[in-house]
Amino acid sequence: MKKTLLLILLLNLSAFAKTHVVVAYPYLGKIVQAIGGDAVHVKVLSSAKFDPHFIVPKPSLIPAIAKADLLVANGAGLEIGWLPHLLNSAHNPKVRVGTPGFVDVSRAIRLMNVPTSVSRSLGDIHPEGNPHFDTDPHNILPIAKLISKKLSNIDHAHAQVYAQNLQKFTASWKQYLKSFDAKMRTCKGKKVIQYHQLYNYLLKRYGIKYVGTIEPIPGISPSSKHTIALIQKMKKAHITTILQDPYHEKKTAKFIAAKTDAKVIVLPHDVGAVSGTGTLKDFYNTIAERLCP
Amino acid sequence: MTKKIILLSFCACSSVFAQSEVEELKTLLAQQIKATQALQKRLEVIEHKQARQETTHKHTQKTKQQKRSQIAQNTQKIEALEAKQAVQSTPLPISTATTYSQKSFIPDIALILDGSTVGRNVDNSTYEKYYIPGFNSYNPNEGKDILFNKNRGFNFNYAELSLFSTVGPYFDATAIFHLRPEEFEIEEAYITSRSLPYGLRAKLGRFRSEFGRINSMHQHAWEFTQNPLVFEALLGNEGMKDAGVQLQWVLPTEDTYFMVGLEALQGNNDVSFGEVEKNNLYIGYLKSSFDLSDDTTLLAGASLLHGKNDLGKTTNLYATDLTLRTAFDSYSSFMWQSEFLYRDKSVVDAQEEQAGYYTQLIYQYNQNWSTGVRYDSLYKNLKNAPDDLEKYSAMVEYKPFEFTKFRLQYVYDKSKFYGTDNQRKNTSEILLGFTIEAGAHGSHAF
Repeated sequence: MKKTLLLILLLNLSAFAKTHVVVAYPYLGKIVQAIGGDAVHVKVLSSAKFDPHFIVPKPSLIPAIAKADLLVANGAGLEIGWLPHLLNSAHNPKVRVGTPGFVDVSRAIRLMNVPTSVSRSLGDIHPEGNPHFDTDPHNILPIAKLISKKLSNIDHAHAQVYAQNLQKFTASWKQYLKSFDAKMRTCKGKKVIQYHQLYNYLLKRYGIKYVGTIEPIPGISPSSKHTIALIQKMKKAHITTILQDPYHEKKTAKFIAAKTDAKVIVLPHDVGAVSGTGTLKDFYNTIAERLCP
Repeated sequence: MTKKIILLSFCACSSVFAQSEVEELKTLLAQQIKATQALQKRLEVIEHKQARQETTHKHTQKTKQQKRSQIAQNTQKIEALEAKQAVQSTPLPISTATTYSQKSFIPDIALILDGSTVGRNVDNSTYEKYYIPGFNSYNPNEGKDILFNKNRGFNFNYAELSLFSTVGPYFDATAIFHLRPEEFEIEEAYITSRSLPYGLRAKLGRFRSEFGRINSMHQHAWEFTQNPLVFEALLGNEGMKDAGVQLQWVLPTEDTYFMVGLEALQGNNDVSFGEVEKNNLYIGYLKSSFDLSDDTTLLAGASLLHGKNDLGKTTNLYATDLTLRTAFDSYSSFMWQSEFLYRDKSVVDAQEEQAGYYTQLIYQYNQNWSTGVRYDSLYKNLKNAPDDLEKYSAMVEYKPFEFTKFRLQYVYDKSKFYGTDNQRKNTSEILLGFTIEAGAHGSHAF
């Protein structure tokens, strides 16, 4: 009798002990929540209001990292300017880089724009490749799969839950991709310019050609010389769409739009970046609605 | 006969494509080549015959063409096979040049360069001998050691070389060297633990004490080029850095950050401590941080430095710091940072109590521009020394790129005296400085 009581107690305890997961960006939080369900407690370290390269490393974020069992990063250098310092300050050997508790989801993605040569004279380039793969919904499933694997690794007790959730999520996401692909089909062959190389994965997937960026090289503010050249290029190629992220200044885009009769479309880069993008599906729906109305 | 050969070669081709073993490929390739050679020979014979015939039949023409295209096809297939074979039998690298190469273990390396041009209302040799009354004294024979931007005219302050590497499962190593035109200095060199449990981390070596806010920062990360006046007066130009050990503990709290740090140092700093017959300095601090709103964060700290001064008596230094930072967007923010230091130093038959603080506002306008002001004060001094020692600073900073910084700074300093007759010497200084960071770059601190 005592034994059974003890067993029940222990079982209960283990059921209540949630796995603490901290994630670098909001979209990762949504994926982890979908896979982890009730077995995980998720904390998102950054807000989609901000440029993902330049998140303020608030010391108030340290306790969450100190307690974490799993840390999920975007990788490909996106958080190199803010996360390593916090990670060092948290003194948590469980989620150090290279341990089973540290997940770099870029490892699940075939990265685009991998530079053949790397120099800071080319601006803020990422030697690993373009880190903004979350703009293509087809990249969500490989990430979900990796997260499910990593969660099961550190929390065997819930491995089945994670596998089931992944299955459910995969089925629903595949369904969603069909409808998303259908929406995007009409945009094939469209030509656009963008502020930063933020939407490359999405554009490539749906056959949309990006002809230039508003920033002359990554991480450098627009210059008048580059802007004028861009305007001429746009006029020549009859480009009428400018993709603008929500966090950079919009003045340059508006100026170019006025000179070329192009339309500025503000596209979210992450869950919650603009209003009405609270879920993964809403995030991509907003992209489709705005880019391919 | 020809047809048969063609058919055969066809068969051979398709069978070749179905298999991938190199050996088989090789033998088949040999057969192919033979077959094609035979074909070519036959074609030559036919051509020869045809040439001799005066009338050309359409029929022969046709077969000739067919054969030609067959041969072309065969040659193509052979070329493809050869290419395949070439890939499969690429010779393994036999060069031993990299056998014991350790390139992948090279530490992360960063290089920081800092220099300036300065205009000041006092010549260099006099400026060296300025002193802060009550804190240090006039020495006509020797100027004091001013680390940064000492000269009117041009200054190259330092090239900072920093190396970082993980040395094993248990420790990381960091070394930061300051190379000056006539001096090599180990600014910091220490190891930190990687795997201690319960939120603990140990550090040992030579390092900047992490008490307060500005002491642990390197000069190139400061918002103004000069050490705050109260640090200059109580800890000297170098701040508190020394050999010793440190233990830090991050408390397992929810959303509020609490960190406790303990340090034991040799105590070489002869401005406040400096009795080094044995190690004499112990430092303890508590830091805490929490969000006032999504975009506003408060960071506060309290510290105690307890040690023996060069008279062998006790010095206690109490410090508090407060930082408030609000982000307006990704590139624009506002920061208010202040630190207060109070020193209680026992000397022969007396207690010396002195205190001061600095407070500064930094406004980051966008990715490229920021501006700031600072006020420094030493408001509590010895009984017979002045207590209206102040300094005003203002700066504008331009960063064309994340790792390139230009700064225009004006400082009006009312804390310096000169000569045996204690003349007050107010200095004004205008400075244009540059700092660049190359190589591996660490992530930003708050």
